[in-house]
Amino acid sequence: MACITIDGVKIEVPEGKNILECALDAGIYIPHLCHHKDLNPLGSCRMCIVQADGHSGPEPSCMLKAEDGLVIHTKSDEIRKLQMLALELLLAGHPEDCSTCPKYGHCELQMLIQYIGPKTGRLKHRSKGFAPDGRNPLLLHDMNRCILCGRCVRACGDLRGVGVLQYQKKEDLEVYTGTLHQKLLKDTDCRFCEACAEVCPTGTIRDILASSEIKKEDYVVPCRAGCPAHTNIPEYIRFVKEGDFDAAAAVIREKLPFPKSLGYVCSHACELECKRKALNEPMSIRNIKRFAAEQDSGKYWKGKGKQLPDTGKKVCIVGAGPAGLTAAYYLRKQGHSVTVKEALPTAGGMLSYGIPSYRMPRELVQEEIRVFTDQGVKIETNVKVEKPAELLKEYDAVLMAIGGHAGVRLPMKGNTLPGVLLNIDFLRRAAMGEETGLGKHVIVLGGGNVAFDCARTAKRLGAEEIHVACLEARDKMTSDDEEIEQAKEEGIFVHPAQTFEAITGEDHVTGVDFMNVESFSFDENRKAIIKKEEGSEHHIDADTVIFAVGQRTEITEAAGLVLGRGSSISVKDMTKDKSASIQGVFAAGDCIYGTKSVVMAVESGREAASQIDLYLGGDGDIEETLAPKQKADPCIGVIPGFSGLSRQKPQVDPADRRQDNFSLFDHGFCRETACAEAGRCLQCDLRLQISEPRTWGDFS
Amino acid sequence: MGAYATAKELGREAVLEKIKSAGLMTYGLRREDFCEALKQAEEAAPVDAGLNNADTDGALLELLRENPGRIFEGIRIAGMLTGTEALSLYLPEKETALAEELGGTAETYGIEIINDIIDVRKSERHFLLHIVTAAELSDILEGTSEEGVYIKAEDKPLEKVRSDTKVSSLISLEGARAVSMGYHFFTPEEAADKTAADAVNAVIKVIREDQCIVRETLDKLSAFRRASCGKCVFCREGLIQLEYMQKEITAARGKAEYPGLTQEIGEAMGISTLCSVGQESAKAALDATAKFAGEYEAHIKKNKCPAGVCTSFSHIYVDPQACTGCGDCMDVCPADCIEGRPKYIHMIDEFDCTKCGKCIEACEEDAIVKTSGKLPKLPNILTKAGRFRKH
Repeated sequence: MACITIDGVKIEVPEGKNILECALDAGIYIPHLCHHKDLNPLGSCRMCIVQADGHSGPEPSCMLKAEDGLVIHTKSDEIRKLQMLALELLLAGHPEDCSTCPKYGHCELQMLIQYIGPKTGRLKHRSKGFAPDGRNPLLLHDMNRCILCGRCVRACGDLRGVGVLQYQKKEDLEVYTGTLHQKLLKDTDCRFCEACAEVCPTGTIRDILASSEIKKEDYVVPCRAGCPAHTNIPEYIRFVKEGDFDAAAAVIREKLPFPKSLGYVCSHACELECKRKALNEPMSIRNIKRFAAEQDSGKYWKGKGKQLPDTGKKVCIVGAGPAGLTAAYYLRKQGHSVTVKEALPTAGGMLSYGIPSYRMPRELVQEEIRVFTDQGVKIETNVKVEKPAELLKEYDAVLMAIGGHAGVRLPMKGNTLPGVLLNIDFLRRAAMGEETGLGKHVIVLGGGNVAFDCARTAKRLGAEEIHVACLEARDKMTSDDEEIEQAKEEGIFVHPAQTFEAITGEDHVTGVDFMNVESFSFDENRKAIIKKEEGSEHHIDADTVIFAVGQRTEITEAAGLVLGRGSSISVKDMTKDKSASIQGVFAAGDCIYGTKSVVMAVESGREAASQIDLYLGGDGDIEETLAPKQKADPCIGVIPGFSGLSRQKPQVDPADRRQDNFSLFDHGFCRETACAEAGRCLQCDLRLQISEPRTWGDFS
Repeated sequence: MGAYATAKELGREAVLEKIKSAGLMTYGLRREDFCEALKQAEEAAPVDAGLNNADTDGALLELLRENPGRIFEGIRIAGMLTGTEALSLYLPEKETALAEELGGTAETYGIEIINDIIDVRKSERHFLLHIVTAAELSDILEGTSEEGVYIKAEDKPLEKVRSDTKVSSLISLEGARAVSMGYHFFTPEEAADKTAADAVNAVIKVIREDQCIVRETLDKLSAFRRASCGKCVFCREGLIQLEYMQKEITAARGKAEYPGLTQEIGEAMGISTLCSVGQESAKAALDATAKFAGEYEAHIKKNKCPAGVCTSFSHIYVDPQACTGCGDCMDVCPADCIEGRPKYIHMIDEFDCTKCGKCIEACEEDAIVKTSGKLPKLPNILTKAGRFRKH
């Protein structure tokens, strides 16, 4: 340690630490611009100059190292004069339009101007003559605003080990920072980590996605923000890349108690948000998750998670689907006694009865549910609850998580003819091995994933000709592209942009009349506006029609709860307060918001668990840390051809081997493809490690 | 046997002894005892050889062209002394041909040639070695060393002279307006007292009566701007401002505050930059504004370039009384800035005129006049010869 004096204040600092950092850490502000806490000092801007006793003249404090007895003065007329001149020189080449700059209010240069108050109007002002550059994905460059602090160069080189950004000189001798020969970033070794934008003190290098309306960590790491459960995606991807699959699985389990199931069937909202899609294709996040979950030995979480002592409170959960089981799991961990009542013979809800087994192997679901029962959750099957209020006699709280198990029949001619089936009934019967009533020629009405589940199940049950028809145009269909493509490979015909005019037939279905849709949109009241193509009436023959146009909750007013739109259970607030119309009764999952996704149900179950825990007198904190602490290396280095690395494909059995049986056909990633895919990640979250700037406002 | 082989045979201690007894000083801006400098260097510090970053003339590169082996041997000896194999030779950015030419040989010595100035931030822990010091290391080991410094006086070839040689014996100060030496401008009186050792870049040049000191300053600043890496604010932005002001002054647009502002920025540059480009580049401008204030005043206040170099202060016009409208001037004007028709008084467009004077020579009527004073009343539309009235 060294004892130094700054402006009369004696402080103990580590020997050799730079004086600027010593001062800032001790609460003494020294103006600075090119210096950044996480970067090597450059000593170029001269804002941080100080006078050390015994030294010949002012020198930048960022380059001055602490030694015992050093006496520093941060203020003098000479220092002030030089700081003012330095800023005056910088501003001579910087645009004067602060108020139109996107960085206005957050600009470190602007704050320095306010602090130092440079002279104005003495020097030749110039425009550097750079055109704003929007050629690159994710980043905008407005080099006219650049003041050559060199932070971006150091962030790219020293901090990240990439070194794409360098000082360059134009023909007119104007210096700028950029790539050699003004190459596009995708043609360089750029890793698109955006550290350059993060450290830029001015509005020169900007993150295209930055927004004042969204929290910074959400626009910086949109995959995590996009996941309903906010799974720490970049962190587990990094663990996978390093080959630590146990740790990756532990990260996933911190938010999702169904890691494997979600690895198979998650609707992966995260992938829609993935910033890599701006370069080429988004990360294959779900398959990475699946691989990590498959490799998981449980070493970080089995018997290690949170388990609070018993509280003596009893909770009954109605419905053993993803929402109910998730809530049960966390409520048990909070110390409550939890019983789950399930109407069907097996727990799992849609995971067991809705999603076909070729996508979601049943034994996997049961394996995941065993984790809950091992934790002490009691599950009673074949128990149908009619009146939730009555449960309150025995239980302190009740959670309705009954999902949506009633198919919707569109009001149209012929909708009750023999041969007309409903999606969820059909799928449940198929799952249970019961007679489904399926014929040989099938038309599925609907364009979501459930429609394709129906069509592909029908294929596997032996139907000869299968059509899927929906109102939406191909690019607006809500099912995954992958589902549609695979269905086509299996010989299923897909007809987008169709109106369903009538189901034909006298005493049995003979087919469906369709018309082509010219345009389909919603008005401001969410009312559908459909324009049909004149004279496009056509008919497709069939002996079976399956409605796959959504599901509803199987509940009536008789249950004693206030119901909302589409027989959903009314709650005070969809996320923040899930209490239903009877005190002590809560509701979560599809039964409050309609059919969404497994991961939404999990998040809804988590929220319900927290709220019920609070209701029962707990602290409502269900968070747990399972994964080991990760030291994410900021030095990501160079990966040749990084921006062009293409999305890894899972191993999928060909159509002729999969279309006649219910065996799993998508085998996901192998170790090699999982690690390769993980290596494509931009690691957007590394940017959040970078220190925030320290401005004079923080010191007053 | 080469100098390096000799050094190797002698061993490090014996070599140091030899250097010490030769009294070798490091060359360049900071002259200090070589052995002291070596002591300051870290163990195994990489050797970065080159000229001073500020040396935009590059006169001393002649040593490298003449006998590259001598320099390379010296660099290797320095490497042996610090204990490194990491040897670099920095050549000015524009010297790509020289780098190409020497690259192969350098490689055999394990020396990497880099076309750039030395980045003092990256070389903070390196051992900086001037090319001349390298040459002298070689000489010491070869036993051919002799006291002296290299000088390139005017257009004479580079030669080695004793350090205490008077400048007055190297150049003629007759008709000198100033002397450019090292990175400074001196008055002829000052220069007479200087010795060869003061010319740190070897260059001594007389600025004669027919040369303009502001113009010379401007040229130096422009050369430094090309050399500047642009990282230090004061070097990058300071040079832009200094260059701009001197340019404005030579273009007859100088403002009264320019010399003062040049001084303020120039002085700050000297203490606010990290390498010799920033530290030395304003020295000439500081000397010029301080020692030749009269010339600046003439440009700014009296609208005059005492040397007659700055063309913006002179005007060329067609005397409307003498012009016969023959068109000879139009035919020779390279800037195409003379307007006229046969038998009409010709007119020169001052905006485009480069003041080359070709029209003056071409005019048989002696009707074209060059003046540094005020212009008489001239026609502003085409007027028949002989029809223009003075009043």
